[in-house]
Amino acid sequence: MKLIVVNILICGLGFLSTQKLVMNYNGDGQDRGITKKPEYYAMEWQDGLALNNKATPFYIEVEAMGNQNVDMLVTDLQRPVLYTADICTPVCADGECRLMYLTLYWNLLGAYVGFDKVEGQALTKHDHVEFVEQDYEKLHQLLLDDNSILKRRKIDELVSKPKEPQLDGVDAIAGATIAEVKESVVDGALYSCYVAWNIANGPIKAELQKYTASMFDEELKNYMLMSREVDYQMYALNSLRESEYMEHKDRIAQIFRESIPLVRTYIVQNLPKLFWETDSLQIPFWASFAEVDINNRSLLLNHIQKAPVEVLVSLAGNLELMTKNQLKLYLSAIENTVKTNPDINAQLLRFAESGNHTYAYIVTEFLEDLE
Amino acid sequence: MKYLVLILCFFNINFMISQDLLLEAESFDDTGGWVVDPQFIEQMGSSYLLAHGMGEPVKNAKTEVNFKKDGKYKVWVRTKNWVPGEWEAPGKFQIKVNDVLLENTLGLRSGWGWEYAGAIQIKNKKNVLELVDLTGFNGRCDAIYFTTSDNEPPSSLKKLTAWRKTVVMEPLAPEVTKKYDLVVVGGGIAGCAAAIAAAEQGLQVALIHDRPVLGGNASSEIRVHTLGIYGNFERILKKLDTEHYPNGSPEAHKDQIKRDNNVKSYNNISLFLNWRAYDAKAVENRISYVDARQTATGERIRFNAPLFVDSTGDGWIGFWAGAEFSYGRESVDEYGEEWKEHGELWSPKQPDNAVMGSSVLWRSYEVEQKVDFPKVPWAMPVAKDYAKVKGEWQWEFSRNDLNQIDDAEEIRDHMLRAIYGSFANAKKQPENANRKLEWVSYLVGKRESRRLVGDYIFTLNDAKTGRTFPDGVVEETREVDVHYQTVLEDEKNPDFISEALFYKTPKYYIPYRSLYSKNISNLFMAGRNFSTSHVGLGGPRVMRTTGQMGAAVGFAASLCKKYEVDPRDIYTGYLDEYMELIEKQKYTPIPDSKK
Repeated sequence: MKLIVVNILICGLGFLSTQKLVMNYNGDGQDRGITKKPEYYAMEWQDGLALNNKATPFYIEVEAMGNQNVDMLVTDLQRPVLYTADICTPVCADGECRLMYLTLYWNLLGAYVGFDKVEGQALTKHDHVEFVEQDYEKLHQLLLDDNSILKRRKIDELVSKPKEPQLDGVDAIAGATIAEVKESVVDGALYSCYVAWNIANGPIKAELQKYTASMFDEELKNYMLMSREVDYQMYALNSLRESEYMEHKDRIAQIFRESIPLVRTYIVQNLPKLFWETDSLQIPFWASFAEVDINNRSLLLNHIQKAPVEVLVSLAGNLELMTKNQLKLYLSAIENTVKTNPDINAQLLRFAESGNHTYAYIVTEFLEDLE
Repeated sequence: MKYLVLILCFFNINFMISQDLLLEAESFDDTGGWVVDPQFIEQMGSSYLLAHGMGEPVKNAKTEVNFKKDGKYKVWVRTKNWVPGEWEAPGKFQIKVNDVLLENTLGLRSGWGWEYAGAIQIKNKKNVLELVDLTGFNGRCDAIYFTTSDNEPPSSLKKLTAWRKTVVMEPLAPEVTKKYDLVVVGGGIAGCAAAIAAAEQGLQVALIHDRPVLGGNASSEIRVHTLGIYGNFERILKKLDTEHYPNGSPEAHKDQIKRDNNVKSYNNISLFLNWRAYDAKAVENRISYVDARQTATGERIRFNAPLFVDSTGDGWIGFWAGAEFSYGRESVDEYGEEWKEHGELWSPKQPDNAVMGSSVLWRSYEVEQKVDFPKVPWAMPVAKDYAKVKGEWQWEFSRNDLNQIDDAEEIRDHMLRAIYGSFANAKKQPENANRKLEWVSYLVGKRESRRLVGDYIFTLNDAKTGRTFPDGVVEETREVDVHYQTVLEDEKNPDFISEALFYKTPKYYIPYRSLYSKNISNLFMAGRNFSTSHVGLGGPRVMRTTGQMGAAVGFAASLCKKYEVDPRDIYTGYLDEYMELIEKQKYTPIPDSKK
């Protein structure tokens, strides 16, 4: 398998698509490895972690430079952790070419996660000035953005001058603006950024993910589920069978509390019915109500009709966190409970009489209607 | 003039009990710097006046009020504090009667309802009433009620609606009825194109639009530029579209004049600007009429026609008539719309009510001298530390507890807080000392709301595969572009900023069968409320594409009239003739005057 990156892409001809040819890699990976966190790195690094290179069937071919192998980085116990490649690629602009050296790292799902500089091979800008620390950091941030504007623009579209009139002196191109490009690339190094982004986020991504999928086992699933990397969490959750939700219920509740809104949403939307039918299974999720984002509070409240009374009572202490529609949903759920439950009633009165809550009037009207 | 009618009606009924007068704010003789906001009638009951001064108090709204009897009147005002909290209300105002300010400041209560302004001794028949804005930050006044009794009018919407009917004594049906061949509701690009296409084929068309200018999201009031290709309808769409200026650009005014003039040049288009439809009645799945109201005066008209086009964007006509519709995201398996790379952001495993959000565009400009901007503590919980001097398409808001139709006022207000707060932050930076807000829209620019269901539901797969249809009347090459809120990926992001995911497609087609209702036999739809899945909408929601939909249904309407048939019959019985008519549009030259 090989992935081709051609230097002519920066002349506006674009990428050639991934081509699967022969699996002919005979790498020498086992002798190499890393023992410290890559200099620019977006994942957590465990102190003392030592990783060894292990060959994969993939390489990136850079025209005129030949094949550049992609290795897997594994622990001493052969557990896969990352993918890596030493890249040397020409960057050409205005007829002048120079070489760019980088060691790239991808996670197990093929997402770019970091890079190392190659000793003695500093990156340079168009005017041969070397990158400074902030430039490397900016490049790292750019490469991390897999939905960058560079994805859908050819290089000549990124450098073209705006045709539209300049309104009050600011860049004024609509939609994907030149200003937007400037903001995200290293000043004076558009071509290097473009080439690096297209290697780091190119067809290799899908290939590596497929490769990981081919070796995805219980161990890897548990590793991803226990990870703090949200991509891993989502991938592992996606692979769970209904019965496995029970097995991992504590970890899933923990992810729900601590992860990003997107992952939480996946959890609350895909929890098996049994969770909402069993008090002890659903309570850990309600317990995170105050800590999760507004969207996920709404998704939890979609299940309020099946929530046990203790959840209704505990939510009554969180009325100030609810939006107008969430409050209405909550009130409709407690309509029959409120008269017999002094705790809820007291909380409603507290909220209605506090005088500084946006939606206190809704609770006031609700209490009036009850009388 | 409206309030006179109210007085007469009311006095007939209640003369012996008390002296009362209800005045709708939007019917003021001179609205001054206040603007009429009819966007949320279905939710809060009425058009209202909005003091949209971008931080500078607006000029007083003024009107003459005739009282039949002298006496001491209590004055109630229907209003709301649009950001209640631990700060001073942003939109405060007062009432002035005959140059006397009433004692109470208004705009303080949470939720729409009545606030007591004070009492006034009326000594003359003719009186001058003014709304005095105190802040320039979107104070709002729906109605003013003068009464000699001690009773406060009801605040809850249900009771208020009944009360308003009693006070106004408005008959159930509009007294004026007008008949047309085709009634188009919604004067966005799709509605305008439908009206023109039908008018060119000789139909008598009514075009009802709730704003003073045409174009909807493309209008100078919202200022989104038109995207997409012309398809078969270049001649018509060039009369309506925009240049590719930045969203929010004042250049929108130039295209506005072109568009309005072009539509007005058709003698057989009866244009009802500032009229908003409020009901549609279907009998046996066939719409008999649409009722509409003038947004300022409250006059009403019943529109009869054999055919209707719903280009309201929100699918209101279909909704009122009982048309099937969808809202939110289908599950990834419903139509097989997976895009693995973007997983749940693109299409979820379980269906949900998430939709693309609404934008409120804005811009500022440099002035010669330093200019201050007021403190806006009420905006900061939304804006946080975000600092900007203008807002493009990424300024978009959607949240799953907010419905883009039912909660549109809250969505708009959230965006206003985002804008004012972000601008206030930017103003703290020395380089923005001379920046001044030039324009902030107060209209919600929606991307997605109800989607009416037709005989065919357009999906991503139709775009992906470039599927052709025997009735493919709309064509597009623009990528499918679905937005999501960036806060879903990182809670530190502002909740009012979105990101776009672009799916590149070959040229694709939308069939005519997606442009008429499945179950309401005489209803066409054109615009974002056409028959599509959530992801399917990602591409053709832009305005040259929706304009193509409009033109396509306008031409279909002409054949419906010719053969006295319904929209579906065109597909089943007259498709060749219809497609020939569509094809012919490609080659109809553009008159020099329209170039």
